[in-house]
Amino acid sequence: MLPADMEQLSRLRRAIAKSEALPEETRSLALGVPAIDAALGGGLPGAALHELSATPLHLGVAAGFALALASLAQEAPKERAKETLWIATDFGNLETGALYGPGLDQFGLAADRLLIVRVARPVDALFAMEEALKCRALSAVIAEFGETPDLTATRRLSLAAKDHGSLGLILRHGSNDAPSAARTRWQIASAPSVPDEFGGLGPTAFSLELTRNRRGPCGTWTLTWDHHERVFAALSLGVAEADRDRPDRETLRTG
Amino acid sequence: MWLRRIATDRIAKRFAPDEALIIAAPVKGALRLSAVNDAAAALGLRAGMPLADARAMHPAIAVAQADERADLALLEAVADWCDRYTPLVGLDAPDGLLLDVTGCAHLFGGEAALARDLVRQLARRGLQARAAVAGTVGCAWGVARHSASLPPPERGRSASAASRVGVSSHSMTPTRRTSCVDLPLSGGGEGEIVRSGEERNAIAPLPLTALRLDTDTITALAQVGLKHIADVLDRPRAPLAARFGASFVRRIDQALGLEDEPITPRLPVPAALAEQRFPEPIAHERDVLGTIERLAARLAHVLEQRGEGARLLQVVLFRADGKVFRLEAGTGAPLREPRLIARLFADRLDVIGDEVDPGFGFDIVRLCALVTERSDPQQTGLATPDHDAELAHLIDRLGARFGLRRVMRQMPQDTHIPEFAVTAVAAASLPSPLRGGSTAVAQRRRSGWGSEFLLTTASNSHDPPPQPSPATRAFTPVFDGLWGEGARELAVSLDSPFPTRPIRLFARPEPVDATAELPDGPPAQFTWRRVRHIVARAEGPERIAMRWWRDEAGRTLMRDYFRVESRDGVRVWLFHEWPADPHLAPRWFVHGVFA
Repeated sequence: MLPADMEQLSRLRRAIAKSEALPEETRSLALGVPAIDAALGGGLPGAALHELSATPLHLGVAAGFALALASLAQEAPKERAKETLWIATDFGNLETGALYGPGLDQFGLAADRLLIVRVARPVDALFAMEEALKCRALSAVIAEFGETPDLTATRRLSLAAKDHGSLGLILRHGSNDAPSAARTRWQIASAPSVPDEFGGLGPTAFSLELTRNRRGPCGTWTLTWDHHERVFAALSLGVAEADRDRPDRETLRTG
Repeated sequence: MWLRRIATDRIAKRFAPDEALIIAAPVKGALRLSAVNDAAAALGLRAGMPLADARAMHPAIAVAQADERADLALLEAVADWCDRYTPLVGLDAPDGLLLDVTGCAHLFGGEAALARDLVRQLARRGLQARAAVAGTVGCAWGVARHSASLPPPERGRSASAASRVGVSSHSMTPTRRTSCVDLPLSGGGEGEIVRSGEERNAIAPLPLTALRLDTDTITALAQVGLKHIADVLDRPRAPLAARFGASFVRRIDQALGLEDEPITPRLPVPAALAEQRFPEPIAHERDVLGTIERLAARLAHVLEQRGEGARLLQVVLFRADGKVFRLEAGTGAPLREPRLIARLFADRLDVIGDEVDPGFGFDIVRLCALVTERSDPQQTGLATPDHDAELAHLIDRLGARFGLRRVMRQMPQDTHIPEFAVTAVAAASLPSPLRGGSTAVAQRRRSGWGSEFLLTTASNSHDPPPQPSPATRAFTPVFDGLWGEGARELAVSLDSPFPTRPIRLFARPEPVDATAELPDGPPAQFTWRRVRHIVARAEGPERIAMRWWRDEAGRTLMRDYFRVESRDGVRVWLFHEWPADPHLAPRWFVHGVFA
């Protein structure tokens, strides 16, 4: 081939590669809370694996946080046509209960864009998660593991997520000790919610602790999730309730 | 095909080759002979004789117990093996098979060659068979069992099994008669071929037992003096029907081809198949997978011409020693791509690979599309990647690996009872909701096929789900009308900052110890999984009761549900159950967990 043709060919190749490249670092899932987003450097990295741990008492809350993140991921502009996949093990379903459609729907995750895979063993769950991360038609993949997946497993999943641009979330039972190759690691617990004006239950409140973050500092925050608006809001600790017997004092409210 | 000595051949290995062997079965309390082998027949023993007589005649004869189930299992195994000749194999219990070789015979060099090969292969495995190829089931049946040109069944000739082989297969040519292949028959009666149009001549010399009549009719006919079919062929039908029953006349018509008699295939006949035969059997898994991919390419060509895709695929592996393995994989959407089909079966073999033992190798690999569906080619954009197809393929692969029922979506049900408000439906059986409101109507192509996936008629509403406008978003849940009316109305009316339904539900509500301040009120504290929680806030009760007309069954379900938050922030869905028996104390359960 003539040198001119070769040059044109390489120029075309570069142009194609540029248009096809995934803008990896710009795809972050912003949580909507400035403090956390700043710590994460713009938001949760979109093409990576993240780990959420919770003690057995707080597993429901961890699942809720994962679902809230998945709900945000579904609403991102490019992801409107994609679905969410949840991988559950049989034993996990016995221990923490199966996902409940009406509840998910109210919580903010579109239940008809949700696929649920129920596997028998944790190793099957790892296989399913890897296959799902390789599929580009999913906005988020959430898997629940009872025992800790080891370092090699999380590294494989992390690579799969990075190569194919998918968001992977692992829910772990237990605390944060074991080594893992996830990009960010969180410890989730439930927090008391702020009651509404009638004294009833307020919006769902999470207590988050970011224990590993490559892009910024770690920290603890308390968030609430508004399931109608589907947004997170910060809730600072120590909000004093309005004094009912001292109407002349101002209510002390922060955050 | 008639396996003459199936009962004795099955156990022949346990005895010396020329030893006389009889099989005894209890008939009405007395032991009678149910089967004899050739050597015993040569000694003059017949089926139906009492065992005592037989023992009296030959005290040292070998006797075995009859086992019909094992004989049937052997027949099924032979039928499985005969699948290599034609997919349409019917059982003719207890000792025969019917094969429809229309259109298959040319692959084996003609009907006679097919018949010869069949008998020879069976003989190598120690089974005696007699075969006949004819245009109708009745004719073939009769010729195989009673034809005089084949060595007669009960003649006293001692001959080893190998020399007395007759192939029995049956070709049912449609009414548009295709010509039978005219090949010379080799000596020794190896195969009897009845050319189309010659059924009449073929069955004429046979005795009337060749018409599959019951013994009463035969005796009645014998009493009148009718012994051979030739006697009745030319008689007027009406008096025969009146005297001996309509079924008699129908059998004659079936044998002559005037009435249709279809063969009921043992297994569903595939809509399309591609197969590969190997002169040397293959045993490596990657060779098998490579073959499957090539076969899938051929199958794709056929399906494309018909405009169809496969919904249920089956790979049949014929092992060299006769065992047959069948693997299936179902898909959610009609599939034609060879590469994707090969991947599906790679996953399948991964899961069940240990059970498929190649032994000495597989000599035939066949890929069938058992259920197909119309699949129109869709225009895909150049820029937008095809998410639907990728997702469908992921569902198929996970289904192939774990079972299609384990990949599911949740469908709302119209009931206020929480456990039943949602059912899980296999995702493969539902059309993707994102395909712009298409009404996918997938109907069951073959009924009676107990496959693990469902073909349902499902139609999406043609309107997309209503997009919540910012003003109304606080008041309407995202999907109108899809989920239980109870939950939706509750959310709308309360506009609660906290969801009314939990995100996780236990299959069995877990009992807790709870104490309440008021009998109808929420608990003040509860102990769940050995952890004590003190209730900070609670909302409820929400009474969910079974519909009143179920009370007659004695089971009333009346529950007061509370959404409860403990001091630490743990939020659960508790209920207080009132049992039907008023004497029992009401109990508390945890049914679900909120975030």
